[in-house]
Amino acid sequence: MKTLKILLLPYMAAIIVGAFLWPAPAQGFIGESSRIVFFHVPCAWTSALAFLVAAAYSVAYLARRYPAHDDMAAGAVRLGLLFAVLALVTGALFAKIMWGAYWNWDPRESSFLLLIFLYAAYLFLRAAVEDPERRARMSAAYALFAAVLMPFLFFVAPRVTASLHPQTVINRQGKILMDAPTKAVFFGALIAFSWLFVWMLGLEARAARLARRDRARG
Amino acid sequence: MDGNNSAPLSSSVSRLPTSGSSALARAWAVCAKDAAQELRRRIAIASIFFFAATAVTLVSFGIGPFGLPAEARDRVCSALLWIILFFCAATGLPRAFVREEETGTAYALRKVVPASLTLAGKTLFNYLLFLAIAAVTVPAFSILLEWRVESPGSLAALLVLAGYGLSVVSTFLAALVARASQKNVLFVVISFPLLLPLLLSAIVATVEAAGGSMPSTPLRVVVAYDGAATCAGYLLASAAWED
Repeated sequence: MKTLKILLLPYMAAIIVGAFLWPAPAQGFIGESSRIVFFHVPCAWTSALAFLVAAAYSVAYLARRYPAHDDMAAGAVRLGLLFAVLALVTGALFAKIMWGAYWNWDPRESSFLLLIFLYAAYLFLRAAVEDPERRARMSAAYALFAAVLMPFLFFVAPRVTASLHPQTVINRQGKILMDAPTKAVFFGALIAFSWLFVWMLGLEARAARLARRDRARG
Repeated sequence: MDGNNSAPLSSSVSRLPTSGSSALARAWAVCAKDAAQELRRRIAIASIFFFAATAVTLVSFGIGPFGLPAEARDRVCSALLWIILFFCAATGLPRAFVREEETGTAYALRKVVPASLTLAGKTLFNYLLFLAIAAVTVPAFSILLEWRVESPGSLAALLVLAGYGLSVVSTFLAALVARASQKNVLFVVISFPLLLPLLLSAIVATVEAAGGSMPSTPLRVVVAYDGAATCAGYLLASAAWED
């Protein structure tokens, strides 16, 4: 855990410096606004990754009923929400520069907001059930049900109506429309944010383990 | 629920077909049991219809037949219609499992019928209830707001398909919240984000149906959503309902 943290710090610093200084700003965007792609997309990616990790731990919990798996699922959802809020805020900043308003009810903005509601509801459900075993089982069932319906928010709803959002990395041509330095920093940022998530999830797991030990001691 | 009714309710669970019967017969028996219980009490079903009538009346008072510009009419009416249907569903559909917990029949039901068949039977009952609500609400809404749907067949197909998805998700979530605190508020909180992709597609499809075109793209989304929700509900039924 400590090594993970020590290596993550210089790597993240290098990515941040690279994001501001290395690639030239992309054409077709106002000023330097395109640089937000190095932070906004990795936040969105990490939130999706976190929700998938939560779904995987939920499957593991339902299969084996280890409380640690429930702790990991809940921790992943909390972190996923954190990264989703960051993606929403960075997206709103970009929208203000490019489209003149922080919020435009664009299908992608709205669907991301709904994704936040979807997983915030998971935390509400957890808070409403007293019994730890029942809470874990119901939360796991909800997380998996939400994971099955999540693609409708992420991929389907934004495509039913027209969107202002720039072409996404996963686009219809199946090509990544970036020059080499942009691509290097972009994928470096994806790795950095994923790494940050893994480290933070480790901390969540440790905190949950200690809390459980405390409860067992009374 | 008062104590006087709990004995007949427990006996209605004990009369359900056991493992020798086919899955369809057992799911249908759960649906028939729910229908018999609700029709016996009447107040719950009546209150859902009263809620729908109140909501439609309130909207028609607020907007009236001529309160909307013609170009915004289809979009606003479609959104309002689905908002009313969603809240009618949120008022009535969670009762499927909550009633079992309140009347003390949940334990017996778990022992007699597997979770997936309980979920299937209750989904069927909720679906029929939704269709009944829609059959009353949609014509009333259309008449009171002077809202003409050019393609009523498309709207009917949409109500049948989207109503199914709404019933599957609502019934599954009702099983989850049945033993939680603050059930009614929690149900709305957790169902709204899960149902929104369905509701958004339904609203887009209703706008197209009102304009006279066949809403093929949003209808396909609704069908895909129905399929995904059915599979997820079936696989997770025991996790949501077991003790």
